[in-house]
Amino acid sequence: MAGTWDDRAGIENGDRPSSGGSPTARTTRGPSAASMPSAGRSVALYLAIPVLVGVAGATTLGLSFTGLLPYLPTAAVDVSYSFLRMLAAYAASLGFALAYGYYAASRPTGERVMIPVLDILQSVPILGFFPVAIVFFVNLTGPGSWLGPNIASVFLIFTSMAWNMVFGVYESLKTLPSELREAADTFGVRGWKRFQRVLFPATVNRLVYNSVLSWTGGWFFLVEAEIFTTNSHALPGIGSYLSFAASAGNGEKFVAGLLMLVLVIALLDFAVWRPLGRWAERFRYDTSPSGEGEVAGPNRDPSGRFRRAAAYVTRGVRSGVSRVTTPLVQLAAITVRPVRKPTAFQRSAFYYVALGAILVSVWLIVIAITVAVFHIFTGPIAPWVRGDLLLVPFAVAASTARVAGAYAICLAIALPLAVFVARRPRASRVGLPIIEVIASFPATALFPVIIFVLVPYLSPNGAAVLMLLTGMLWYLFFNLLSGVRSLPPDLEEAARSYGLKGRQFFRRVLFPGIFPALVTGSITAFGGGWNTLIVAEYLQVGAHQSLSVLGVGQMIDIGYARAPAGYPLMVAALFALVATVIAINELLWKPLYRRAAEQFRYD
Amino acid sequence: MALIRVEHVDKSFASRHGSIAIMQDITFEVKDSDFLAIVGPSGCGKSTLLRLIQGLDRPTAGAISFRGQPVAGVCTQMAMVFQSFALYPWLTVSQNVAFGLEALEWPKEKIGSQVERYISVTGLDGFQEAYPRELSGGMRQRVGLARALAVEPAVLLMDEPFSALDALTAESLREEILQLWRDPALPPEAVILVTHNIEEAIQLADRVIVLSRRPGHVLETIDVDLPRPRDRKSGPFYDLTDRIYSLITQGGAPLPPPSGADGRSAS
Repeated sequence: MAGTWDDRAGIENGDRPSSGGSPTARTTRGPSAASMPSAGRSVALYLAIPVLVGVAGATTLGLSFTGLLPYLPTAAVDVSYSFLRMLAAYAASLGFALAYGYYAASRPTGERVMIPVLDILQSVPILGFFPVAIVFFVNLTGPGSWLGPNIASVFLIFTSMAWNMVFGVYESLKTLPSELREAADTFGVRGWKRFQRVLFPATVNRLVYNSVLSWTGGWFFLVEAEIFTTNSHALPGIGSYLSFAASAGNGEKFVAGLLMLVLVIALLDFAVWRPLGRWAERFRYDTSPSGEGEVAGPNRDPSGRFRRAAAYVTRGVRSGVSRVTTPLVQLAAITVRPVRKPTAFQRSAFYYVALGAILVSVWLIVIAITVAVFHIFTGPIAPWVRGDLLLVPFAVAASTARVAGAYAICLAIALPLAVFVARRPRASRVGLPIIEVIASFPATALFPVIIFVLVPYLSPNGAAVLMLLTGMLWYLFFNLLSGVRSLPPDLEEAARSYGLKGRQFFRRVLFPGIFPALVTGSITAFGGGWNTLIVAEYLQVGAHQSLSVLGVGQMIDIGYARAPAGYPLMVAALFALVATVIAINELLWKPLYRRAAEQFRYD
Repeated sequence: MALIRVEHVDKSFASRHGSIAIMQDITFEVKDSDFLAIVGPSGCGKSTLLRLIQGLDRPTAGAISFRGQPVAGVCTQMAMVFQSFALYPWLTVSQNVAFGLEALEWPKEKIGSQVERYISVTGLDGFQEAYPRELSGGMRQRVGLARALAVEPAVLLMDEPFSALDALTAESLREEILQLWRDPALPPEAVILVTHNIEEAIQLADRVIVLSRRPGHVLETIDVDLPRPRDRKSGPFYDLTDRIYSLITQGGAPLPPPSGADGRSAS
């Protein structure tokens, strides 16, 4: 039936953009085909993962499987508590994302304020606000109420989920080809019908992909929130379950909890996200003006929903932020403008010295303001807090160094791994789904083990860096993989035909080619790192076991733990951290990002 | 009687360096059963002109009227066929064709039969439940055409409808459009085709309006009196092509700016 000759012409010219149709070419390059195994294989895979976790967990700890069984029901109950919290937060995020994204995309004045605000909010380490949120909501609902900590944790999960979904909605509305809007105009499609037929469908694809990542991030923070509150306002949930199990040294209980968590995550992935992702493919639209097969942004990359989603998260970075940051950048530029013509090295050295100086003064200002505010409103500050307040700059510096160190290790692992996986299509077809499921497992669930079991071997600092690693690695890996994958094959072929190899190839082709992905990945990885700090630097469960290293996360936690005298410390440390994160984003990452966008583009 | 009247239309866009005049003093009429082509070099405002006619955008100066009434807001008695097809990837072929009818709030059964009719008219039978993604470029543009014809527009606006297609597909689709045009039972009373392909304009249209380079103004309106089907290799066809071509390349100098307007200064 497709036998009219013009159709055949369309298929023969399958590679021509204008023929667009070429369904065969599309599906082989399509996102699902490359990384998605067949149904049978994926069932096996999904069953294999929980079983493997169980077996590995049990055998390494020398446990019997029958020992696990009694704990499974209670673990299941705790997982469902956690799941309900996730569901509530997700529903809130979805509504928020649609409303906020829609208004930001359709009102120019809204956009000018809403998007930069969102960009700042999403780059701020939300977990740092968790202690503040607990204090706030617990006071609001009255001490002893189960509602307060629950709202606080749902709020925390919401904040981790919402941003990237908002950006998903916003960007899909902004990149919706103008002809699709115009076509609606020409037929007089307005109001609700327009939303239902045109605008909402346009957001579906991104929303689904970003939801996958939102859930991944959500689990991470959920577990972290539940571990965090174990000591004060214990929330029944899988995080506190694991935390209690680990602190009691109960291996069977711990593995049972882990098993349930993995089961739920794998089940969700298999029964919800994969089918939903396939369905959402229909809502993809082509953004190039001529309506050809080109697809927007990271969507162009053919495989891995997780990777695509990861890339989306940071796409907000580029949206309209410069308005807010230009004054800061100009200030920095003035500060570093030297008298004589300096070398490039001197110039950048000046820049970073100035950056450091600005940071330190901001820390001091933040501390001073906090002290003043608390002094006025709550009276004199306790002596021990005063001493600790002076340590805040050192703590922020130590934390920054820790995150940077963990980042370096991540890079050393992720870059070779990404190149390796990208170069082996067959290996990645089997390996990627496994990596994806592992990546969507919240590493925070393993923190109790790291803290209670590995600290003696690793030293507290090593354990902290290890935990940071788990919160950073995936972002970098998936972004780099996407970067290597989307390197145009003809650029590589050209390099080979000129005999470029080894270091030369890396410097001239690979590095410039993946630089944008590297920057994006680094931004997200650092974002993950800042968030992980809060648990990685200080955790106390029970009377004896604890982890504590000098850092801003530790300061926030100590301030929270020794309420109410500690509040000034908590607030000062939090704002110093926020200032640092914003400054590093604005003055380091975004200039790099802009450069990446301008210089290393090849499309 | 003039179906559409375009009178002294100017259009300029604000840019960072001041306003840029896209077109100046455009005047022409579209009569009933007119197949009009607008040709001109790229950037002369052809597509903008089409959008002004439907009311998607407003002229900076001048007036456009449809059946004697000034065009204010989008005129749904005209329907547009887009260069990029502008099909909704999440709607099936049937749903895309029904898109305009739903906006007009036709009853459901009537929509169904209308959709079936235009799907078969445009040769899309059997593809009702397909998604645009699954179709070739030529088939996609048929959907675009069916969607526009289904609302039974008085005027069919075509914005470079064949330029995203390969040459062979475009040729066959042009033939089919001519066949549809000759069928008196089918809707549009007039067609306005915007194209940069001179031969295409001569092959299809009864009249060709030739626009100059930016800011676009009407260089000449040429009646095409060749009998159909028109043979591209015939002498008169070639002469006409040559005439329009030299009009555009040589006569494309901008008008002396009318007093007060400084269109060129910006570009």
